[in-house]
Amino acid sequence: MVTTVTAPTVQDTPLEIGGRSFHSRLLVGTGKYKDNATMVRAIEASGAEIVTVAVRRISLDRTKEEGILFHLDPSRFFLLANTAGCYTAEDAMRYARLAREAGFNDFIKLEVIGDQQTLLPDVAGLQEAAKALAREGFKVMAYTNDDLITALRLEDAGCAAVMPLASPIGSGLGLLNPFNIRTIKARLKVPVIVDAGVGTASDACATMEQGVDGILMNTALAEARDPVAMAHAMRLGTEAGRAAYLAGRMPRREVAVPSSPSRGMLS
Amino acid sequence: MIANLPRLHAVTDDRVVGDGRVVERAAAMAAAAGPALAVHVRTRTLEGAALLDLARRVKDAIAPHGSWLVVNDRADVARAAGAQAIVSGRAGLGVRDVRRVAPLIAVARSVHDAAGARAAAAEEADFVVAGAVFETPSHPLAPAGGPDLVGAAAAAGRQVIAIGGMTPANASGIIEAGAWGVAAIRALWDAPDPAEAARLFLAALPATRTVALVVNGESRAVSEGTTLAGLLAQLGLDPRAVVVEHNRRIVRRDGLGDVALAAGDAVELIHFVGGG
Repeated sequence: MVTTVTAPTVQDTPLEIGGRSFHSRLLVGTGKYKDNATMVRAIEASGAEIVTVAVRRISLDRTKEEGILFHLDPSRFFLLANTAGCYTAEDAMRYARLAREAGFNDFIKLEVIGDQQTLLPDVAGLQEAAKALAREGFKVMAYTNDDLITALRLEDAGCAAVMPLASPIGSGLGLLNPFNIRTIKARLKVPVIVDAGVGTASDACATMEQGVDGILMNTALAEARDPVAMAHAMRLGTEAGRAAYLAGRMPRREVAVPSSPSRGMLS
Repeated sequence: MIANLPRLHAVTDDRVVGDGRVVERAAAMAAAAGPALAVHVRTRTLEGAALLDLARRVKDAIAPHGSWLVVNDRADVARAAGAQAIVSGRAGLGVRDVRRVAPLIAVARSVHDAAGARAAAAEEADFVVAGAVFETPSHPLAPAGGPDLVGAAAAAGRQVIAIGGMTPANASGIIEAGAWGVAAIRALWDAPDPAEAARLFLAALPATRTVALVVNGESRAVSEGTTLAGLLAQLGLDPRAVVVEHNRRIVRRDGLGDVALAAGDAVELIHFVGGG
């Protein structure tokens, strides 16, 4: 009988953002689930500590209870409000201030979208809003392109974390430009969290192998056939990718090198 | 909100319509109450042409005084007669369908509980006729909802006309509970002098001064002096679960009771929903 042995693993440090430490490097969204019970079970299975929420008008006909906090215990998770759906710096700042007033924390996942079709960020608006919000004391986590120069400017603007995309929001295309992500990670001092685009566990693993500090996903879980099982897979993929990064991969060679001794062969 | 919605509604039934003096009495009440009066033509005994004929005769009698003609259930008759409003009963057409037939006429729903009032608000009825408020011989089996029914219906955000056992003596408490106006059958039509009864009703109604606002993009009205805290209470919202923005300025929870709403104010009520 084969028994599973837990091997000693590489010691990791906690994820630190804006003076707070987190044990999970997987951050998850709460949108698009077919029902709230599935959402809660998927978040539990993911092991995530930081969960994102959106800021919206309350429905004034009180026939349905759509507020996320009726389903998600805010004492168990770190709520990261986003400015999703904002197309100008001014709108994003308005949403951020409303979100902070809810009284949970002063973190904001800043999105300033530039194009409805691709949901790619408006990097000029993003920098403007990031600078203003950081000055107001927000811990800004900015969703951005996989572009080094923008990432550097966001860091200069005072962002607590920079969140380049793996591929467009909700696309599930996976990590399209590992080189850009590695370059951003190599040059920034603040945490780099890859946000958006992963589709399955191997995407999460490959992303974490680039050495980034964390990964944020929503659609890959919500639109999986079984969101709870996929959340479990994503947790393993994220942990595997992080462990592989810390372990340090072997060099790539364009030649074969035998794994078994060449000596001791039968004559 | 309909700023000029009459506050006294003289509602007919089969008995009143069959009495023969209905047009004459409607005219007398209209002369006394003017634009504050609405006369509801409501009967199951008259078919289309006869109903339209009655509605037209009532309209001719009351229109010179500025009173409203309201027709129950028959959107076609309401439109043909030039009624100002139509009341759709529980089994009647939905508000949107009524508007297809009669697009320029105010549409009300007859409701019996808070859920009905919310449903009416959801289908964007202009106002609701809520009852029975007190026990009434016209609906002997209907449970009387009292001021609670009126308050719950008003919380749904539409103007409420209270019906069921209304008299000049009990009207002021019902207005204080949140009704815009009152409706009566017997207390008006059976009075020895219906015009005097209408005057007594109007004298008993405390003023409802209201201000029109936009809340989360929807037009609403609240009574003068209502604070943000009062607005949340009317909407049934827990202030701890809402962030309030008033004219683009965030108002802290502990300050909600200090901000009185004024005409034209824009209020945004925000919470967290699922998002990525």
